[in-house]
Amino acid sequence: MSGGQTRPLLNVEGLSISHGVVPIATSLNMVVERGQTIAIVGESGSGKSLTARAIAGILPRGISATGDVVLDGISLMRLAESELRKIRGFRVSMVMQDPFTMLNPLMRSGDHIDEMLRGRPEFASRASRAAEVKRRLAEVGIADEDIARRMPFQLSGGMCQRIALAAALARDPELLIADEPSTALDVTTQAEIITLLRRVQRERHMSLILITHNLRLAFSICQRIYVLYAGSLLEVGDAAAVERQPFHPYTLGLLLSEPPAEVRVTRLVSIRGSVPRAADVVDSCGFADRCDWAKQICHAGKPPMAPRNASRFTACIRQDEIQGELDALRTAALSAAPITPRRGETEGELVRVDALVKTFVGRRGYPIRAVKDVSLRIMPGESVGLVGESGSGKTTIGRCLVGLETPTAGDICIDGIPAADFGAMAKADRARVRRTIQMVFQDPYSTLNPRHRVGQALEEALGASGSPVTPERVAALLIDVGLSAAYATRRPSSLSGGERQRVAIARALAVKPRILVCDEPVSALDVSVQAQVLNLFKRLQAEHGLSYLFITHDLAVIRQIAERIYVLYRGEIVEEGPTERVIGTPQHPYTRRLIESTPRSASQCTT
Amino acid sequence: MSSPASGETRGTKLPWRIPIVILIAALILTVVVVCAVLGDKVSPDSPFLQRLRIGDTPPSATHIAGTDLLGRDILSRVIYGARTALVGPVVVAAGAFAMATLLGLVSGYLGGLVDSAIMRWVDFMFALPGTLVAIVVVGVLGGGYWTAVVVLIVLFTGPDTRIVRSAVLEQRPLPYIDAARTLGISKTRILFIHILPNVLTIILAYVVLDFAFALVNLAGLSFLGLGVEPGAPDWGRMVFENRNILFSNPVALLLPAAMIMLTAVSMNLIGDCLFERLAK
Repeated sequence: MSGGQTRPLLNVEGLSISHGVVPIATSLNMVVERGQTIAIVGESGSGKSLTARAIAGILPRGISATGDVVLDGISLMRLAESELRKIRGFRVSMVMQDPFTMLNPLMRSGDHIDEMLRGRPEFASRASRAAEVKRRLAEVGIADEDIARRMPFQLSGGMCQRIALAAALARDPELLIADEPSTALDVTTQAEIITLLRRVQRERHMSLILITHNLRLAFSICQRIYVLYAGSLLEVGDAAAVERQPFHPYTLGLLLSEPPAEVRVTRLVSIRGSVPRAADVVDSCGFADRCDWAKQICHAGKPPMAPRNASRFTACIRQDEIQGELDALRTAALSAAPITPRRGETEGELVRVDALVKTFVGRRGYPIRAVKDVSLRIMPGESVGLVGESGSGKTTIGRCLVGLETPTAGDICIDGIPAADFGAMAKADRARVRRTIQMVFQDPYSTLNPRHRVGQALEEALGASGSPVTPERVAALLIDVGLSAAYATRRPSSLSGGERQRVAIARALAVKPRILVCDEPVSALDVSVQAQVLNLFKRLQAEHGLSYLFITHDLAVIRQIAERIYVLYRGEIVEEGPTERVIGTPQHPYTRRLIESTPRSASQCTT
Repeated sequence: MSSPASGETRGTKLPWRIPIVILIAALILTVVVVCAVLGDKVSPDSPFLQRLRIGDTPPSATHIAGTDLLGRDILSRVIYGARTALVGPVVVAAGAFAMATLLGLVSGYLGGLVDSAIMRWVDFMFALPGTLVAIVVVGVLGGGYWTAVVVLIVLFTGPDTRIVRSAVLEQRPLPYIDAARTLGISKTRILFIHILPNVLTIILAYVVLDFAFALVNLAGLSFLGLGVEPGAPDWGRMVFENRNILFSNPVALLLPAAMIMLTAVSMNLIGDCLFERLAK
């Protein structure tokens, strides 16, 4: 399978992970050659992080693994903890997702690297270690020596991630496992970290396992792709080949539901339903319930991973029969004609923001200027994007519009009513503004009150608008967002992220608003679910003539939904214009940087 | 449109085994509650009947735990004593719960001046030496047991308010509260319909701990003669009355003392367990 005579660096065979009797991942096989970069791609709950931890032997308590993990001829699963410790860091090292919790908050950043160097005889003296720390920091692109003396909380997320990477590399491992190393970072920083990771991997000829939910990222830097779903591998192959011609319907679905960054499409292809738990699909193909091609045979047992051609594997037993259809869909998607979005009307603006300023009182009374002099317009029926990184003030603007924050200065006019200070408005005006503008929040897990049933939440929202509260209206709202009326009796804890976000949208729609402020409404959702929700937004706009203020950091998402965008940088609007124009020919250097940071697919890298 | 049943299994937890210590604690509490409720129906003798002729006797066949100086049956008095041992702490816990919940909700959600005022009052309550204040107030005002209960309610409200406030502060920035605010839901409704159910479990876990503290405090006051009136069967009072016959009938002192300790520890253990389970 590995091709050459040389032994692969890492060979994982039949790795199964379980929590007591509940299976998390079943019989995974993986091979990592020396100097190779592989990606484990999966949505939340696919078991990708635990797989990485099982390889490094650091599973949390109560979770156990069986099978074989062989590193260069040594079976890691059979080693004692004391032996494993000699391998971790020296031969296998890890970088985790959250840069802030990965570093010890009480240790200076340089000491994290120093600590890893300590055991080695060549760095016995303090001076030699200090010199080495400096060299290691330079390797991860930190030239400023002062950084080594700073505490983690004084550094930015990207900087912390660099320190963590330098610490992970300090013992010169042969294999680095990076678990979502860029997910918690800003778009531009994300690109920097990924470029750095790639450079270091090449220079050291190190093997790299990249764990990510981001297909585009995986295809852009990895040679081999392992697609993990609900605890089992569905497809394995070389990145370029998998991208060009996926063999498994799930891989195809993922590829299609990624909003393309290059073109705007009428409707995104989405996968229905949501990711099941590994324990629920032990005896069937994990994807069968969501697959358009599923037949009786798919539910009859777990299909094994089978080779389809040289170095390609798929767990789809019907692959032979359906490959033609898969290819057709893939080709259709690649050649989708871009559509030009219609422009909104030009008169009677719905939202007008003039010279908005919002200053927060920070630590020790220092003012934090979150928004400085922002002006924007939203026309009826228009969908406007507000793009920026974390800290750019985009969320603050949204919160000012719906009255959750009161601006320090500036004017807000909603449907002709001055609405800068909700507290100072007449009661009738306030009620009218609230029926005009509503908000959808980012985190689907806390956007609904965990103690209230779905029906209760919607009834309350209906009541707030003064309209009659009847079970029929609740049902109508649920159906409007693509859920069945039976959802009214469910509690949020029994809903998936996508379903919760749909309920949140239904709640906002209950007052029949004319505009929705959507604050990163899909960024916390799985890729396959993201497309469903984006399609919902598009459909609702068409059916109800809704306007949107779509707040996001994701250019691919904004491209699909917004007709006009504002680019926000450090509290100021640096560029504004029709989406196609801004993304196609960006004027401001920041916009250009933002666009370049979006990972491109493997095929586009080569062309 | 996925069927509603598909996600129902999400969030199922692994089976939770009740630790044996908690089972024992629950058993002890059940016994105490049964004694308090049934009283004379389960006691072998009258707790008040004096037998001055026999005086204090060690445990025997007729009096399993012996008798005190006045010849009263110790076991019956301990069984009767469960009433005052439970009623006071229950009232203290309930009172502190009600006041702390109200103050904590208002303080945490409204913030600003109201919050400052309530929190400074809480700071003041923290600065007071609790038991000493109780002794002084009951000593000066009189009124014994029920004055002590009121004093303890006021004293316990302080720390509990802080707990409720911090739990409210945790809920306040969550989007579901923001969503309710953008819909124009009233503050009262947000406080009691949205926030309260989400912080209730944390408060309840703390209230159980209040009960244990109140039990020990009230027993202490009774020991000092500031609690129940003389003659009433009360565990704290019995420890005081029977300290003179420690050598002729040690059970007369040790049994009520052990009951105070066991009940308080059981309640504490259950409170800790609830806290682990609910508040985290």
